[in-house]
Amino acid sequence: MIPAIVALSILATSIGFYISLKQSQNRLEQNNIVQSLFWPNPKEIVDFTTKDHNGDLFGLEQISEKWTFIFFGYTNCPDICPITMSVMTDAYQALIDEYKNIQIIFVTVDPDRDNIDKLKSYVSFFDPDIVGLYEKPTTENSLTKQIGVAHYNNKEDGKYIVDHSASIFIIDPKMRLVSKISPPHKSDEIIEKFKKIKRFIDEKS
Amino acid sequence: MKKAKSLFCILFFFLNISAIFADGHAKITISDLWISEAPASASVLVAYVKLKNNTSSPISLTNITSTSFSSIEIHRTVIKNDVATMERFSKLEIPSDSTLKLLPGDYHLMLFNPNKPLSLGDKTELIFYFSNESKILMEAEVKKRNINKSQHNH
Repeated sequence: MIPAIVALSILATSIGFYISLKQSQNRLEQNNIVQSLFWPNPKEIVDFTTKDHNGDLFGLEQISEKWTFIFFGYTNCPDICPITMSVMTDAYQALIDEYKNIQIIFVTVDPDRDNIDKLKSYVSFFDPDIVGLYEKPTTENSLTKQIGVAHYNNKEDGKYIVDHSASIFIIDPKMRLVSKISPPHKSDEIIEKFKKIKRFIDEKS
Repeated sequence: MKKAKSLFCILFFFLNISAIFADGHAKITISDLWISEAPASASVLVAYVKLKNNTSSPISLTNITSTSFSSIEIHRTVIKNDVATMERFSKLEIPSDSTLKLLPGDYHLMLFNPNKPLSLGDKTELIFYFSNESKILMEAEVKKRNINKSQHNH
């Protein structure tokens, strides 16, 4: 009889311990998503005018009803920009079959040295589906102004460097800037984060 | 006598060989030099490399040249508060008995204005100049960038 009581109480304690462990794991996971989320007040993207890598107009309509991943960079940035683009491409190719409404956007922050042709060659190098956007960051409501950062160092030098956002930004189908993924970027992490963010936003909608 | 002469010859030969090898055991060893494949329109390419200083005093990389590019600079990607920038270095010190790795997302060589597009598998030569007056010519191959899949890579 006594051993039975002991066994039962050990079992009960273990179950209790297991439940509390699970709960704290869930809380931790929630916190992890919330940290990268702009919630509960995500910024709504307002209308903007850019041209895509084919020279076509690209505005609010083109990001509506889609999950959009945005990265700001420039084609004369041969290290961190292609690293990020490669990782985003890998995540995109892993996600696109399951989630049809996803797009990857590369916005140039260097309109003086980049042009539409250069953008076309640049984005299609990674994946023909990737959209390259050309805008003047100084234009009112430019995506750079609404979301990113661009700062020019010694622009008079032809080899000038542009400081730019290193994060990947996520806009939801309701055109709200819902999340920012900070570097260092890993494709598996982007995939996992996206799934969690989507689940979270879908539950709130 | 003849025997002694040939022995001397053999000895002399080996001495020479070892002298060559001693010289071959260079003060600087360059390895894993590669250029990352980029779009054909790219006007700046990037190269990564490992530089090993085999001596007991620091040696600096002072210049890199190539007939394939208008100029080559040493840069480092730095991310501060989610903003990426690049720092330029006029030289790079390799501490004594250690290896300096130029890797993606960190130190790298900026290769300006390739005189022709370089595609996967193409090879070109770079010349590295060091503070100890040494000069090393190395062949760089254009390779595909490895994708950073997950944090659990070791």
